Amino acid sequence: MRCHLPLSDKRKWSPAAAAVSMLVTLANAGPVRAGDPAYGEYLSSECVTCHRRDGQDKGIPSIVGWPTEQFVAVLKSYKTKDRSNPIMQTITGRLSDEDMEALAAFYASLKPAQ
Amino acid sequence: MQINRRSFVAGAATAAGSLTLAAPSVLGQGKPKVVVIGGGPGGATAAKYIARDSKGAIEVTLVEPAKQFTTCFHSNLYLGGFKTFEEITHGYDKLASGYGVKLAHQMAAAIDREKKQVRLADGTTLGYDRLIVSPGIDLKYDSVPGWGKEHEEALPHAWKAGPQTKLLKAKLDAVPDGGLIVMIAPPNPYRCPPGPYERVSMMAHALKKAGKTKARIVIIDPKAKFSKQGLFQEGWEKYYPGMVEWMAPDIHSGLKSVDPKTSTVVTGFETYKNCALINVIPAQTAGKIAIDAGLTDKSGFCPIKPESMQSSVDASIYVLGDSSIAGDMPKSGFAANSQAKVAALMVRGELIQSKTFPARYANTCWSLIETDDTVKVGGRYEAKDGMIKAVETFISKTGETPGLRKETQVENMGWYSGITADIFG
Repeated sequence: MRCHLPLSDKRKWSPAAAAVSMLVTLANAGPVRAGDPAYGEYLSSECVTCHRRDGQDKGIPSIVGWPTEQFVAVLKSYKTKDRSNPIMQTITGRLSDEDMEALAAFYASLKPAQ
Repeated sequence: MQINRRSFVAGAATAAGSLTLAAPSVLGQGKPKVVVIGGGPGGATAAKYIARDSKGAIEVTLVEPAKQFTTCFHSNLYLGGFKTFEEITHGYDKLASGYGVKLAHQMAAAIDREKKQVRLADGTTLGYDRLIVSPGIDLKYDSVPGWGKEHEEALPHAWKAGPQTKLLKAKLDAVPDGGLIVMIAPPNPYRCPPGPYERVSMMAHALKKAGKTKARIVIIDPKAKFSKQGLFQEGWEKYYPGMVEWMAPDIHSGLKSVDPKTSTVVTGFETYKNCALINVIPAQTAGKIAIDAGLTDKSGFCPIKPESMQSSVDASIYVLGDSSIAGDMPKSGFAANSQAKVAALMVRGELIQSKTFPARYANTCWSLIETDDTVKVGGRYEAKDGMIKAVETFISKTGETPGLRKETQVENMGWYSGITADIFG
């Protein structure tokens, strides 16, 4: 059931809302863990700009459903610049080992679209 | 942890104590509401990500007058004949059917920040808990002497994709061999820094392909240098010898006037008469609605907090893409899409207490110079020292092998497929 507060009541709430919202934000920004799927999914939002989430290759390879070890190894080889694509070198430049594992876990969990 | 609204309410009935953790605005008004103004790469991405990732816990309304969106990115490839108009045009159906985004196909007329409402063109109002403003650019019609809105049919800008893009292509295709094209390039800051120069490349390609190699393109630029300059100039010399002439301000001594009636461009250096085509790309500002709402500063664009894209002047509003002052990030579709994901994460965190993580931004701009010869520039960015700063950047090099340039073009096409699926799919 919806409950619409009149505007005046809403305004009365706003300082409290702001304070609570701040507390909640602090509480939400907890430590980042390697196996955290929410974190892996957030990191993946950077990948899907180019690598289609449905796994189709329209000019940029699919990274969906890769084994996690291979996924991490390839990311590391970009970070160390053993692989040459400058976009991937730049993106992996800020990925920690934990970030890579979170991403690998997320992508391993996806299945290519049929 | 994500809190599903339904399960949260059900849980709250038996565990009243947990109520203290929830933001009162959520409890007081049913589902929290997000309104998004602008259905481009910034707005459409934000609408999709908030709706999808909140799993119905946030009501998202996208306000966009057009039923179909033509991307500015790759519109130059349409001019060059590498893509059809249909290939760069996308609908919003999937946002509605796949993720539950409500579509309001109207112009947003005004923002009432006091009441937290958006008024639509038909007079209806939409209340919001958070507002995302992503209207793109507006053109400064008074920035080019002699040219104004009333001349945009005769002398198109095509800097907002759509009918203008088609118009420019029709005029380009009608340029005779030996005809003169003058492009008035824009001053900084503007949408898509390499865009004017990729456009020149694609114009030259189309002319060359039609056998009109005696046609010329003159660029009157208010800037002393431009994005990917060495790469473009190398390409123009290689592929279009004698066809492209770039004029820096110290050469043309300033644009004096444009005369739409006689198709003349006057600079301090030379008068160009009987131009077959004049492409005026004027100076730019944030979308008018952002200016009217008081979200801009004296630069004409909107200051934001770099860790979230939240407006510096209103904590309930986020500004994305071309309208924002995004520090080192250029005004590009890629950048707007990247910023949208950060804002979507932060908005969900505020409204339904989902997890938030530190902002990370990225951008790449590809430019096609000639068939199978594409260059790119890009980088990654982070909130630092009160602005969005480039942490690491890259740019293609002159003299790269044809094989690498071809790979970069394949990547360019793949990116388009990826980002449009990310925005609209």
